[in-house]
Amino acid sequence: MRGSIRISSLLLRLKSNLFTIGFFIPAFLYLFSFFVIILIFLLRFSFSGNQPLLSLFSSAEFGQALWRSFCLMGVGTPLQLVVGLLLALLIQRSFTGVGVARSLFMVPIAIPALVTAIMIDLVFSYPFGPANDLLTGRHAFFPPLLELPVNWSGSEFLSLGLAILGKTWRDMPISMLILLAGLHSIDREQYEAAKTMGATGWQEFKYLTLPLLTPAILTILILRSIENWKEFIFPFVLAPSYPLLGVLIERLYHVEQNPALAASVALGLVILIALTTLLFTAVTKLVRRHLVRV
Amino acid sequence: MKAVKFSLIGVVIFFILLPLFMMAKYSISDRESIVTGGEYPEPLFPFQPTLQMFGLLWSRGDFLKAGLTSLWVGLLAVAFSLLLGAPTAYALARFRIPGVAILLFLLLSVRLFPDISAVIPVAELLLSRPFSLLPPVILVGLAHTLLALPYTVYIAKGVFESIPRDLEEQAFVLGAPKSRAFLKILTPLALPGLGAAAIYTFFLSWNEFIFAYFLTFQGTETTLPVYLLRILSWSPQKNFISAISVLICIPVIIFTFLVQRHMREGLTAGAVK
Repeated sequence: MRGSIRISSLLLRLKSNLFTIGFFIPAFLYLFSFFVIILIFLLRFSFSGNQPLLSLFSSAEFGQALWRSFCLMGVGTPLQLVVGLLLALLIQRSFTGVGVARSLFMVPIAIPALVTAIMIDLVFSYPFGPANDLLTGRHAFFPPLLELPVNWSGSEFLSLGLAILGKTWRDMPISMLILLAGLHSIDREQYEAAKTMGATGWQEFKYLTLPLLTPAILTILILRSIENWKEFIFPFVLAPSYPLLGVLIERLYHVEQNPALAASVALGLVILIALTTLLFTAVTKLVRRHLVRV
Repeated sequence: MKAVKFSLIGVVIFFILLPLFMMAKYSISDRESIVTGGEYPEPLFPFQPTLQMFGLLWSRGDFLKAGLTSLWVGLLAVAFSLLLGAPTAYALARFRIPGVAILLFLLLSVRLFPDISAVIPVAELLLSRPFSLLPPVILVGLAHTLLALPYTVYIAKGVFESIPRDLEEQAFVLGAPKSRAFLKILTPLALPGLGAAAIYTFFLSWNEFIFAYFLTFQGTETTLPVYLLRILSWSPQKNFISAISVLICIPVIIFTFLVQRHMREGLTAGAVK
C-alpha cells in the first residue's frame, strides 16, 4: 500500500516536471548514448576473441608509437606553457593597440589544423623549400648555416619536431587565454605593495606572479598534456613515416582494416590520458597544500 | 623595457603571420616562383603574381562540390545542436534539477574521449546499417553535432542566465504556458547569443577533419579539409594546394574577429576558479 503511494507521488512529481524533463532530455540522451556506445564498443573490441589489447603490449609497433606520443607530450606540454606565458605577459597590461595584438594572437586557433600542418610541410619541403633555401645560405640576407639541404620528413627527430612546432603554433592562444585570466585575477594591490618595497620587475615576477599563477599553470599542464597525448593531425601530415598512437589508430583502421586492433590502441590512449590526468591532479593537490603552508 | 616588450610583440606577430603569408604568397605564385629546380631560391614574393589557381579551382566541379558539402554539414550541425542544445540550456538555467552537477558532467562526458579514439566506434556505428543508408552529409553533420553540442549547451546556458527572470514570470502571470514563454519571450531575446553559439558550431564543423575523414573515407562526397588532404596525396603544386587552403581559411579568419569574445569565453570557461 505504502509502496503504491510512493510510486504515485513519484509519478505526480514526474508529471509536474514533465516540461523540464522534456526540455532537458534530448541533448542529454544524444550525448550520453554516444558516450555509452563508444565505451562499450572500445571495451568489447579490446577484449574480444583473440585479446587484441593484450597482444598490443608485446608488439614493437605499439611500443614505438607509445614512445613517440610520450615524447610529443613531454616536450610539447612545457613548450606550450612557456610560449603561452610569454604571450600572456606581453599583452597583460593595456597599451594602445592591445586589441589588435590580442586579435592577431588569436588567429592561429582559427586556422584549420590541417591547413597549418600542410603549410609547415610546404615551408620545410625537401630539397628546395623556403626553410632549406634559408639554411643553406641561398638568400643574400641570411648566413649559410648548412652545407646540404635537410630532409625534414625523412628524420624521426626532425619530423616529430615539426609536429610539435605546428601543435604549439596552433594552440598558443588557448594557453595564453587561460594564463591571461589567471593574471587578471591577481590583486593589483599586491604589485603596488611590492613596488613600494622596492621590488624589481624580475622579483615581482618570481615572488608574486609565478606563485599566484600556479593554479592556472597546473590547469594548463593538465589540459595541454591531454591535448598532446591525443594529437593526430600534425603528426599525420608531418611525420607519416613515424606513427605515434593517433596515427597508428588511423593506420590500423584504414590500411590494415583491423578495427579490433585500432579500438584497442584507442582504448589504450583513453587509459593513458586518464592516468596522466590522475597524476597531474595529485600533483596539483600536493602543490596547493605546499602553497598554503607557505 | 618597453622597447623589449614591443619588439617581442613584433616577433610574435611575425611568427603568427609567417605561415599565413606563405600560404597567400604560394596561392598567387606563378610556375617560375615555385618550380626553381634549385637554380635560384624561391623568391620572397612571386615574380609574376597570378590568380590563375583560383580560376582553376572555380572551374573544377569537385572543389565547388566539396565547398557545398562543407556548407551543408555546417548548417546541419548548427541546426541539430541548437534544436537539441537550446532547450537543455534553458532547463539548466531556469529550473531546479536535482543532481545537476552530475548531469552536467554526463553532458560533457563524451568529450572525454580523444577524437581519434571516439571516431572508431562512431565510424563503425554510422557506417553500418541502418545509418549507412543516410547521405554522408547527414552522417558527418551528426558527428559534428556530437562535438559541438556540449559547447552549445554551455554558451546557451550563459545566454539564458543573462536574461532577467521577471520577463517570463510576467508571461506566466498573464497565463502563458512555459513552452509559449520560451518560444515567444525568451527565444527572441536569446537570439544574438545563440547566434554566437551557431557561428562557433559552424566553424568547428568547417575546420573539423578527423570525423569527416573517417566517415567519408570511401565516398566521393566530402568536406573541404578532407578534399584538401585527398588533393595532397597526388603531390600537387604548392600554388594549387595553397589556393585551396586560402579559400578554406578566409571565412574562418573573418568570423574569428567577429565572435572573438564568445570564443574566448568558450575556451576558458571554468578553467580558473
